[in-house]
Amino acid sequence: MDEELISLEKVTKVYGGGTRALNEVTLSFEKDQWTTIMGPSGSGKTTLLNIIGCLDLPTSGIVRIAGKEVTGVGQAALTRLRRENVGLIFQQYHLVPYLTALENVMLAQYYHGSPDETKAVDALKNVGLEHRLDHPPAHLSGGEQQRVCIARALVNEPAILLADEPTGNLDQTNGNVVLQMIQRLHAEGRAIVLVTHNPDISELGDRTIRIVDGSVEQDFKSGGDRNGE
Amino acid sequence: MFVRLLRKSILRRKSRFAMGVASVLIGAAVVTALFTVSLGVGDQVGQEFTKYGADLMLQPQSNTIQIGLPGVSIGSVTEQKYINESDLWMIKTIQHKANVLGFAPFLYQVVTVGDGPNAQQAVLAGTYFNKTIQILQPASPQDPSVFSTGIEDISSWWKVTGNWITDQNDTTSAMVGSNVAQKLNLTVGDSFKVSYAGAQNGTTATTQNGTTATTQNGTTATNEKELKVAGIVESGGAEDNQIFVNLPVAQDLSSRPGKVDTVQVSALCVRCPVADMASEIQGKIPGVQGTTITQLTNAEMSTLDKYQSMMALVTAVALLASTMGIFTTMTANVTERRREIGLMKSIGAENRSIASLFLAEATLTGLIGGIGGFGVGIVLAQFIGLRVFSTTIPLRWEVLAVAIPIAIGVSLLASALPVRRATAVEPAIVLRGE
Repeated sequence: MDEELISLEKVTKVYGGGTRALNEVTLSFEKDQWTTIMGPSGSGKTTLLNIIGCLDLPTSGIVRIAGKEVTGVGQAALTRLRRENVGLIFQQYHLVPYLTALENVMLAQYYHGSPDETKAVDALKNVGLEHRLDHPPAHLSGGEQQRVCIARALVNEPAILLADEPTGNLDQTNGNVVLQMIQRLHAEGRAIVLVTHNPDISELGDRTIRIVDGSVEQDFKSGGDRNGE
Repeated sequence: MFVRLLRKSILRRKSRFAMGVASVLIGAAVVTALFTVSLGVGDQVGQEFTKYGADLMLQPQSNTIQIGLPGVSIGSVTEQKYINESDLWMIKTIQHKANVLGFAPFLYQVVTVGDGPNAQQAVLAGTYFNKTIQILQPASPQDPSVFSTGIEDISSWWKVTGNWITDQNDTTSAMVGSNVAQKLNLTVGDSFKVSYAGAQNGTTATTQNGTTATTQNGTTATNEKELKVAGIVESGGAEDNQIFVNLPVAQDLSSRPGKVDTVQVSALCVRCPVADMASEIQGKIPGVQGTTITQLTNAEMSTLDKYQSMMALVTAVALLASTMGIFTTMTANVTERRREIGLMKSIGAENRSIASLFLAEATLTGLIGGIGGFGVGIVLAQFIGLRVFSTTIPLRWEVLAVAIPIAIGVSLLASALPVRRATAVEPAIVLRGE
C-alpha cells in the first residue's frame, strides 16, 4: 500500500497584491504515485508546485513533507528539506549557461554536500548524454538540455520529482523521449508530480488533479502505465 | 566546485568584472599614490631633520637698521656679525652640558675654484673636524678641562669617500661635497686652488697658514689657497655643494680671524630640553641667538600637515567613487543573475552559499584592483613627486599592505547591499518564469 509522502491541509496562498493563488487546498501525495496537475493558466498550478517543492510557503494551512511539517520553518530549514527530498524539472531547463552539462549536474551535488563526478557522469549516462558531458547548454539541443535538467534533478536521489511542463518547450520527438524517461523513473518507484496543459500526458499518470481558481475542481485516477508500455 | 563556479562566472562576465576591477583600481591607485607621496615626503622632512644633525643652531644676534629720510623708509641694513670662536668652550659649561654631544662652528665664504675660463664658484666652509678645545672655566672642578668635538661627531651619517681630515692643524686638506667634486671633476688626492676676493686688505704677503694675499686698489685683497682633496662628502643635503676645510684656513682666506658664522650643537638624549639648552647658551655667550631645529622645521611640518589633510580628503573621495563604482557593477551583476540565483537556491543552495560566491567575486575584484592600483599608484606617486616636490618618491612596500586590504574592504563594503539582495531572491521565481 502506498504511503503518504506529502500532505496539504487547507493550504491558502495569497500574494502581496492580494491575489489568492490557492484557496484552502487539501491534498495528499503518495510514494510511487504519478500525479498530474492540470488547469488553465493562472489557476494556481505553479503555486501548488512551489509549495509542494518547498520553494514557497503557504499563507495559511499545513504542509507536511515526509511526515515533517514545513509550515513555520525558516528559509534554511526549507532549503534543507527541498535539497533532501525534491528534484525539480523545469519547462525552461534553467541550466547555468557557463557550466558544462556535467558541471550543471555536479552543482546540485555540491549544494547537497556530496560532489561525486562518477555519480554525476552516471546520471548523464542514464539520460543518454554520456557523449555531451563537457558541452555547455548553448551547444545542446532543447531535448538534451531537458535531459541534463532531469539528470540534475535525479543525481541526489530525491523522494519526489516535480516537473513543470517538462515537454512544453520541446518538439514531439524530444517530448516523447523526456516522457519515456519520466515513465521509467515512475516505474522505478519514484513519486512524480507533473504540471501540464496536455491531457494526453495526464493519461500516463496514476492520478489527475484539476485546479481552477486556486481550488481543486477534480481529483481522479487516470490510466497510469507503470511499465511505460 | 566552488572555485570552478567562481572562475567560470567571472569569465562569463569578463567586461563587468573588468569594470569592477577598474573601479577598485582607481581608488587603490589614488590611495597608493597619496600614501607613498605622504610617506616619502614625510621621510624627506625627517631626513632634513637628521641632515641638520644638530638640535640647536647658534647664530650671532644681528641688528637691523632702517635707513632713509625722517618718515620715509627706503629699506634696511643688517649688520654683519660673528660669534667669537674663543667663546665656544662656554657651550660645554651650561647646566645641561652633559647633553651636549658635540658642536661644530662654521664660517662660510663664496670662493672661486680654479683659474681662467674654467673657474667656478663654490661655498667654502671652515669648521672643526675633530678638535680638542680647552674649557677655560669648567662649571665644576670635577668637569674635564678639555673637550673633543667637531663635525665628525655631529654628522656621522655623512658618506665619505677617501678620508676625514683628522689633524686640526692641517691647512692644506679639504673635504669636498659630492656635487662640487662632480662639477669640478675632482677626486681624492687631486689638488685645486681656491681664491677669495673681497677680503680686507692685509699687509702681510703670506700668512702663517700659507695663504697668499694680493693687494687690489689698495683696499681689498684676493687671497688664494692651494688645497688637496682628502675626502668626498655625500650627505644628500646642502653639504654636497660645499667645500670643508679646517676653520683657521677659512678664517685666514677671508681675513676674519677668530670669527664663525654659525655653530651647530648636537644634543644626546631622548626628548632633549633643547629649548632650555638654547636659552642657557644665549645666557652664557653674549650676542648669540640659539634656535632649535624644531622651530626651523615647524613651518615645513605645518605645510606637510596641510598637504596630508588634503590627501586624506582626496583619498576619501576616490574611495567613495570606487565604492559607488563597485556597488553599481555588483548590483547590475546580481540583477542580471537573478534567475541563476533562484535556480541555485531551488536546487539546494543556502543563502551563505550564494553570499560566499558573490563575496568571493568581490574579494577577487578587490585583490586584482588593489594590486593593479598599487602599480598605477607608484607611477602616479613618481609623477606627483616630480611635478609637485621635484623629487622622486621611493617605493614603499608597506603601502601595498595598506592598499590591498583597503581595496578588498571597499569592494566587500560596496557589495554588501547587492549580496543581501542576492540572498533575498526567492527560489520560486524559476518556476514562476520571472
